[in-house]
Amino acid sequence: MITSLLAQVQSLKEAGSAAGQTQDSLVIGEQFYFFTVVLMWLIHAGFMSYETGIARKKNALATAMKNILTIAVVTPSFYYFGWWIYNCNQPGLPIGPNSTDLTAAACQGGIPWSDAFGPNLGNNINLIFFLAFLLFSWTTASIMSGAIIERARLTAYLVLAVILGSVVWILDAAWGWSAGGWLTLRFGFHDSIASGVVHGVAGAFTLGVLFNLGPRIGKYTREGLARQFRPHNLHMTLLGLMLIFTGFYAFYGACLVISSTAFPGWANIYLSPTTLGSITMVITMGFAGGFTGGYFASRGDPFWTVSGGLAGVISVSAGADIYAPTLAYLLAMAGAAMAVYAGTWIEKSMRVDDAVGAVAVHGVMGFLGLLYVGIFAAGYPTGVNNVDSSIGGQLIGMATFLPLGFLSGWVSSFVLKKLGILRVPPEVELMGLDVAEYEPNLYLPEAAVVTEQLVEPDGTPVDAAIVLQTARDEVVV
Amino acid sequence: MPGIINSAPDCITHAEGGEKYAEDGADFILQANYGDCAGIMTFGPGSTYGEDGSGAETLYYILTWLGIVVMLVALVAWVVYENRRLIAASVGFTGDSPAGGPPPQPGGVGDSR
Repeated sequence: MITSLLAQVQSLKEAGSAAGQTQDSLVIGEQFYFFTVVLMWLIHAGFMSYETGIARKKNALATAMKNILTIAVVTPSFYYFGWWIYNCNQPGLPIGPNSTDLTAAACQGGIPWSDAFGPNLGNNINLIFFLAFLLFSWTTASIMSGAIIERARLTAYLVLAVILGSVVWILDAAWGWSAGGWLTLRFGFHDSIASGVVHGVAGAFTLGVLFNLGPRIGKYTREGLARQFRPHNLHMTLLGLMLIFTGFYAFYGACLVISSTAFPGWANIYLSPTTLGSITMVITMGFAGGFTGGYFASRGDPFWTVSGGLAGVISVSAGADIYAPTLAYLLAMAGAAMAVYAGTWIEKSMRVDDAVGAVAVHGVMGFLGLLYVGIFAAGYPTGVNNVDSSIGGQLIGMATFLPLGFLSGWVSSFVLKKLGILRVPPEVELMGLDVAEYEPNLYLPEAAVVTEQLVEPDGTPVDAAIVLQTARDEVVV
Repeated sequence: MPGIINSAPDCITHAEGGEKYAEDGADFILQANYGDCAGIMTFGPGSTYGEDGSGAETLYYILTWLGIVVMLVALVAWVVYENRRLIAASVGFTGDSPAGGPPPQPGGVGDSR
């Protein structure tokens, strides 16, 4: 009898201990994601500084406001339907073959009035995990924002940001960046820190938008040679990139699933084991390789040297959970060098005016990162089904994401163009968006004393006024 | 007494008078008065978490849809407002506006017009 009672007491103690351990794990996870969310704000402070510094003085305020207002539109739209898309579309589209069960609990968990998706004393994780994804959404939309500065309307950008940040990227994340995604389960698609899911798709979307938006007035000579607009504050741009880099550590961490009571305590988004140290080592070596590759490929150009760091990291993000540090270093170095050449080619051969090189740094590097996994990490099991990663699976993912990103960007910007709300009027573009959008006498007294210069294709700096007016007349005619 | 939305679900134990209802010092407050509230939304009371998440009250649906509508209306209004502002500025820059528009900016079209 006593033995039985002691056994029962022991059993209750163990049950209580297990429950407490689980609760501790949930609270640790809640804290972890909370701090990643806070630190990921730095990415947006960085994007703002980065793009504002690149902009000419007459467009600085408009550029900064655009970045800040990303938060105003992507946050509610991602809350109201973005999370539902992620939770409800993992096996496939809601309609047609392989459609998901719209009444499933996981699917319902993405709707904004669900118990699981509200302030809930019994659930420490769902909301904070959603918020980490929300910060990913801001980042994805912001990737596009820099490329279209100085001629896109603020509201055109905001509409496009909602489409990219709350629909397109989260749909591809449901397919290829979740434990239940069809790309994961069937093809072992592996993109652990979102090379393609975030950066590649955002870059492809951006390219589609740029085709419809067109270059800034005066960017190209009549012969099609590229002029350079002088950044008004390159120091601010470099600081912005450093802020982005800092926030990227939190981005990396937030891409993991914390499970402190299970070996080894961390898993990637597919629930395959990894460690926080592994991915942190890869991002750090990725920066080192990226800066080096960017420096030498651009012959010491400061913009491309620092952008090379970002490009390098993006190129190794897909396999960050499994790469050896040296492999990450070398791949990032090669990737950053390729980003420099890709950016130059896009600007000078394709004649696409991408003001910050986003298509090269994010788009090209994002898809390169997917390819890297197929080449250098083939055979590594991915996801709960342990399907081997392979070059075939990675190519299927790329073939899915590239048209998804590009076509959605092209179609949505085409509609805005046809409605006449994609681009600012040429007079406003020449005068500067700040003067048109904001109170010039209050906020922009310094703009009146700035003389704008641009650099001709042969490297000669010239007064911009006459060149731009001539180019504008050609556009209007 | 709830106002528009009852944010204090029935699971909370209310004690009448000035007597202390429970000793929470050791285990934090969840152990006593809120002990029955695990799984209940703390705002917009609904059913117990886990049953398809469909237990929110009608008012919570309405509140959510109100947010969605406001978001969409704000976005459309934003587009319309900016469009008007840009057109007005554009007219001002070309000199057709009675108001004359903002002062010319060196480096832009203002120098050469």
